[in-house]
Amino acid sequence: MSRLPIRIRLTLVFAAVMAVVLAALGAFLYVRLADSLDERISEDLDARRMALTRVVVGGGDVDPSLLAGAEGLARVIGHGARGPVYTETGHALLLTADELDAARTRSVTTDHDGYRLRAVPVADKVVLVGDPLDDRQEALDALLAQLLVALPLALLASSAIGYIVAGAALRPIEAMRRRADEISASTSAQRLPLPTAHDEVYRLGVTLNEMLERLDAGLERERRFVADASHELRTPLATLKTELEVALRQPRSAAELEHAIDSAAEETDRLVRLAENLLLVARSDQGALTVARDPIAVDALLAEVAGRFGRSAEAAGRIIEVEDSGAELAGDRERLDQALGDLVENALRHGAGEVRLHAVEHDGFVELHVTDQGGFDELFLPRAFERFTRADDARTGEGTGLGLAIVAAIARAHGGSAHAANLAGGGADVWLTAPKLLNDPDAAGRDRGSLV
Amino acid sequence: MRILVVEDELKMAALLRRGLAEEGHAVDVAATGDDGVWMAQAADYDAIVLDLMLPGLDGVSVCRRWRENGVWAPVLMLTARDGIEDRVAGLDAGADDYLRKPFSFAELLARLRALARRGTPERPIVLEVGDLKLDPATRQVWRGDTEISLSAKEFALLETFMRRPGDVLSRLQLLEHAWDYAYETRSNVVDVYMRYLREKIDRPFGRESLETVRGAGYRLRKDGS
Repeated sequence: MSRLPIRIRLTLVFAAVMAVVLAALGAFLYVRLADSLDERISEDLDARRMALTRVVVGGGDVDPSLLAGAEGLARVIGHGARGPVYTETGHALLLTADELDAARTRSVTTDHDGYRLRAVPVADKVVLVGDPLDDRQEALDALLAQLLVALPLALLASSAIGYIVAGAALRPIEAMRRRADEISASTSAQRLPLPTAHDEVYRLGVTLNEMLERLDAGLERERRFVADASHELRTPLATLKTELEVALRQPRSAAELEHAIDSAAEETDRLVRLAENLLLVARSDQGALTVARDPIAVDALLAEVAGRFGRSAEAAGRIIEVEDSGAELAGDRERLDQALGDLVENALRHGAGEVRLHAVEHDGFVELHVTDQGGFDELFLPRAFERFTRADDARTGEGTGLGLAIVAAIARAHGGSAHAANLAGGGADVWLTAPKLLNDPDAAGRDRGSLV
Repeated sequence: MRILVVEDELKMAALLRRGLAEEGHAVDVAATGDDGVWMAQAADYDAIVLDLMLPGLDGVSVCRRWRENGVWAPVLMLTARDGIEDRVAGLDAGADDYLRKPFSFAELLARLRALARRGTPERPIVLEVGDLKLDPATRQVWRGDTEISLSAKEFALLETFMRRPGDVLSRLQLLEHAWDYAYETRSNVVDVYMRYLREKIDRPFGRESLETVRGAGYRLRKDGS
């Protein structure tokens, strides 16, 4: 059954229920007709019994057969008569001996040989009237014959209607299936057709369309990432290729060649950095970016990052300050160093004024903040951590557009998150979070000691 | 040749300047789209190299701006993107050729030479004759501010006229430009479509811009009315 199409299954169930209903209806009609025929015969018998009783009580000597009616029969059975009683011709039984005995004291109704008979005691006699049953049987047989033709026809017609209705109800689903069959990565903007009625199928369609919407958005992000990545890769490759081709077009002095090689090396570095960043982002996407969970003193980490950029900040006339907090976290020193380095580099390149590094403990996490006195474009903030987004369109040829995406990836690998905001008093604030060091450092030290 | 390079990537711009200069060309560099727009209008360049990805005004808009302002120098666009859409948008905006980064410098030079050979005839993106306007890229036609809807054949016929305003075109010429060989012998198809076209671009506006030249063919009046 479950292998059959839903449409057939619905029709079969409908037909089965319909068959039961129609059979019950037929049986009901049959019984009702039989009842009403019985009632008519009974009334007829009673009428004749009463007429005959009057004759018997009146002592008149009337031939009872005059009261028998066209096809019925009427008899008066005397006091001493013994059963069984037969018709005059003797070929049909009217009353058995037992029935006759019973009829001496009470009214007896019985069927014999195609007759309904009623025997009633009147004084010391028994009055017997009868009606033939063949009319009744004929009427019932006729009804049965009609029902046997009409009911299967009705069943067939209603099943056909059920089949059509089931088809109509399933049509929106078939339409959705056909469209879903056509949707592929290249036509992901397509949506399933929705039925006009706001029913279960409509809700299913809406839900599926919402799912398609999410998949499409993911696909679109992926597509944009590939397009952006190819653009980011082609730009340094184009510079590299042109640099080398121009250098080779004519004889060059050693100094010229050295300059060309320097420039090519610079572009190569950029490509290497880009490739590494892309790989890191890809690993993060696959959830394959693993980080160590070493105890890290935050103050030392911040001081080291600040120290690394000290000279370039000085050259740009900027100051980097570190605020001590005494916080400790569990994390990967190298990755956090990289993330903070990216943030400081961004602050120096795109921000303004003093760059401050500080940490805040909050809710089991340590927030590592890098602030400067510049500020973000409000439109940029929601997209800050997406790949290849830049606050300014200018491509200075240095950044890869992946810096903040990598900061976010490193924060996520630590179980934390990355955020960017404008400070209330002006200035930009970017921070990432990493889990606080839970067990106190002494205990950690002892543990390690016992292992040695 | 005097060549304008519009490129925001400083290193690439410097390289193009050096490489082209070594080939004996005079090269100016614009680092933004806005600079590119006014520089091309200020001097008569033989060719322009235009990067499509520019900060501010992007390459497609820059190119369209030039064509609107009557800058007809051949434009070779450079793109680092994959998308066909970028190239279609650039070419429809009036660019003459494109190269995808990374490109071969020798090919860049060859393409610039080829572009320069074509000279700088007017190549408007939108054809205009009087107050009739036709945009082949979007397939739109206007009489004044009213947009007119034409069938594909009517459009092809009108485009043929609008590329040669004032010229008398014989039925055979019209057949050659707007129909293919299958129609060669059925010259009355031209008369039928001329009637359709007049119904759409002349009659509703009370004009008679499409004239019948007895014994010669048809002509679109130079003033379009």
